[in-house]
Amino acid sequence: MVEADGVENLEFEWGKKRGVGGKKKDVQFYETFTYDGVEYSLYDSVYLYKEGEPDPYVGKIIKIWENSDKTKKVKILWFFRPCEIQNFLGNEDSAENELFLASGEGVGLANVNPLEAISGKCNVVCTSKDSRNPQPSDEELQAADFIFCRAFDVGNHRILGKIEEKVAGIEVKFIFNRIDLQKTNVVLKLDSDKKGASGNAIASYETGVPSQQTPTIGHTNLKTTGISIDNLVKDNAGSNSSLVKQKSSLREKPTSTVGVESDEMAKSNDRMENDFNDGTKSGPIVKENTDSKASLVKQKSLLRNQPASSIGTELKISKTNNRQENVSSDKTTLRFGEMEDRPSKRAKFDGFVKVDDKNKKSPQILSTDLDGNDAKALATVTALEDKSRLKLAKDTQVAEKDPFKKVKSDDKTKFSNGKLPKASPGRALDEDKKIDHQIMEVTRRPDTDRSRWFKGLPWEDRMKTANEQGTLVLLQNLDPTYTSAEVEDIVWHGFKESCTAKMIQQTSISSPHSGQALVIFKTREAAEIAVRKLDEGCLLLSNGRPLVGSKTTCYPEKKPSFFGHLVIDKLKHQMQREMKEAVSTSHCSQPNTIEYEMAMEWCLLQERSDFAWKKLYEQQGEALRKLHSSLKFK
Amino acid sequence: MASPSTQADYAAFEEKVKRTVYLDNLSPHVTEPVVRSALNQFGNVKSVHFIPNYIEPRNIPQCALVEMEDLMQAEAVISMTSHHYFMVSGMPRPVRARPAEVNMFDDRPKMPGRTIQCQWLDENNPDFKVAQKIKDLTMLNAAQSAFLLKQQLQEEENLAKYQQDILNANYKKHEVIDNIMVDGTARRLADRYNLRCD
Repeated sequence: MVEADGVENLEFEWGKKRGVGGKKKDVQFYETFTYDGVEYSLYDSVYLYKEGEPDPYVGKIIKIWENSDKTKKVKILWFFRPCEIQNFLGNEDSAENELFLASGEGVGLANVNPLEAISGKCNVVCTSKDSRNPQPSDEELQAADFIFCRAFDVGNHRILGKIEEKVAGIEVKFIFNRIDLQKTNVVLKLDSDKKGASGNAIASYETGVPSQQTPTIGHTNLKTTGISIDNLVKDNAGSNSSLVKQKSSLREKPTSTVGVESDEMAKSNDRMENDFNDGTKSGPIVKENTDSKASLVKQKSLLRNQPASSIGTELKISKTNNRQENVSSDKTTLRFGEMEDRPSKRAKFDGFVKVDDKNKKSPQILSTDLDGNDAKALATVTALEDKSRLKLAKDTQVAEKDPFKKVKSDDKTKFSNGKLPKASPGRALDEDKKIDHQIMEVTRRPDTDRSRWFKGLPWEDRMKTANEQGTLVLLQNLDPTYTSAEVEDIVWHGFKESCTAKMIQQTSISSPHSGQALVIFKTREAAEIAVRKLDEGCLLLSNGRPLVGSKTTCYPEKKPSFFGHLVIDKLKHQMQREMKEAVSTSHCSQPNTIEYEMAMEWCLLQERSDFAWKKLYEQQGEALRKLHSSLKFK
Repeated sequence: MASPSTQADYAAFEEKVKRTVYLDNLSPHVTEPVVRSALNQFGNVKSVHFIPNYIEPRNIPQCALVEMEDLMQAEAVISMTSHHYFMVSGMPRPVRARPAEVNMFDDRPKMPGRTIQCQWLDENNPDFKVAQKIKDLTMLNAAQSAFLLKQQLQEEENLAKYQQDILNANYKKHEVIDNIMVDGTARRLADRYNLRCD
């Protein structure tokens, strides 16, 4: 698995142990682990990012362990995107965010990955109508990154309407939504090593470490108040009692989970946030039928899009944390910011000034609508100050705001790339390279397409479809010694597109100067852009070969005819029958036959053509050499 | 960065290339069993792989890579086809065999230790114009090749037609001779000229 080097030093901690296994009992299985500040547990849905693949893969963790050599592994049961199995989808429609659970037996069901390949949590909601599946609410569906209700049998390549009893040895109940609701899934399990299950088990929190950090309490208080205010403002409802209840629960939780050591601060902070989320989400669930549920959830979904208040900020942060593990550098700055601010929390003006500075440093990342948000947030701050009279409010608020901005700015880069979060770092980097006209070393393209696990359709069929869809491109002037995989790599580096390529195999008449390859792009647009880019721009490969690309029309469906095998008309039928019966129909021609004479004529013609080809390629080579010598490149 | 395993892989592949012959001028009707039985006379065929034709005109002859058991057998096949006219599932166009080349293989492994670089040239780069010229030349060359191929196919077609005519004429001649034997014309003529005719 290819991961940026920077990821290596991300923080990691094992959670709850399970059993040991392996021949020498040297393999330790786990139920949970914390990676880069996010806690994962068994059966979580996660993103697995392969550098280079624009879309991250989605899978479910079904096993977690550490080998004796300290390598951490996870077994992932895959979800397929419709595009990955479109060959087998036939006429079946699929929703845009629909996934298919891998099922059955065969390649592609599940496999073992390095734990570091996980790049974030993914909210996958099961919409199966199965009675055992806790049905998701509309809000959950809205909040879901993906949904699934069907499975894809990897063994016989069929779509299954329902989930099987056991998938990859995992009971179906772990595959359906969890009882404690899928939504809390994202954050709830984060503390599963500490608490039982759902968010209303507050009591257990009180056994936690006594808090040494008053600022944190203030922090939480503020947030809690933030929620209540927001709610009040939002729906003007008098669901105060429930909110108060929620508030109190929130107040208790973080205090219990706050870390003690200062070097753990950041982490505890994370955890606290998670708890906080937890509270906001599980709180309403406890009070099922109150107004506040709807409004809170509504607010949450609103906040996802436009974080307009302190709680929004917070939610956004933790959400982004969960999702965007790969933006490690940002993560660290974020955390760094928090760490910095923390000690100064008591001195409120200090913190404020600091953030101001940061604002100045990064004004360009604040869009106008962000400013609007800020204003609103500030308004909330003042309101909070008035109402709750918390001395620390402002400063905590500020501390929150700062990371928020950073995360937001990430979001922006994300959108400008128009890609999924995980793709952004690598992509941005690559794009920079291109703009700089730097020489790129064509390295192995990140792990090959997962859809190749299946044998898939033969190349001919795929080529035919590609031809119809206009995604087929002929590349010329490649080094004839390149392999298909290398061509794929080149395309990847040159256009940031993954594709399937096939070098045209050389024959006796192929040009020794220009290798050709057929490339199937994923979309017609990508193919057209690539051809245009190659036409207008110039992608120079090693040893001074500019790549030439053209849309190609594949061979017409015509029965091939072959010249040189003669039959006597009257004997045609008889001969054809003999041919069918014959085991071998080869022989050496004997002299003194008409066949021999004719064969000689064919050989003569062959020699003549060979000579013509040789001369042609010699001339072409000469012309090319002349041009090459005028290249300054190397 | 070539690891020993990839180097070993490549070496094994090169061995395979050496014991493989490239057959062309095959009719499209030729199938793997036909090639196998044809060349099993000169050794043991290990595998047959037809080189698919994706972009050339449809009616160029089929070609195939035939892996023999060892280099000796491959050489035997090549020398045999160059000394005799070897017909496979049709005549009179002989099949040609020559040593296979690395670039003919579809499943060839990556050349160990090779790195490829690519670079988008800036328009102001002096190389840009040259590169554009090379691109044009590449296209021109491809067009020339296509033309030559077309020409070659035309010649082949002409030759085939010409030979077909000769063959038909020949056949007719033999038929006529046959007929005069059958209907007694030959015997009557022999009687008249006092010749013996069996």
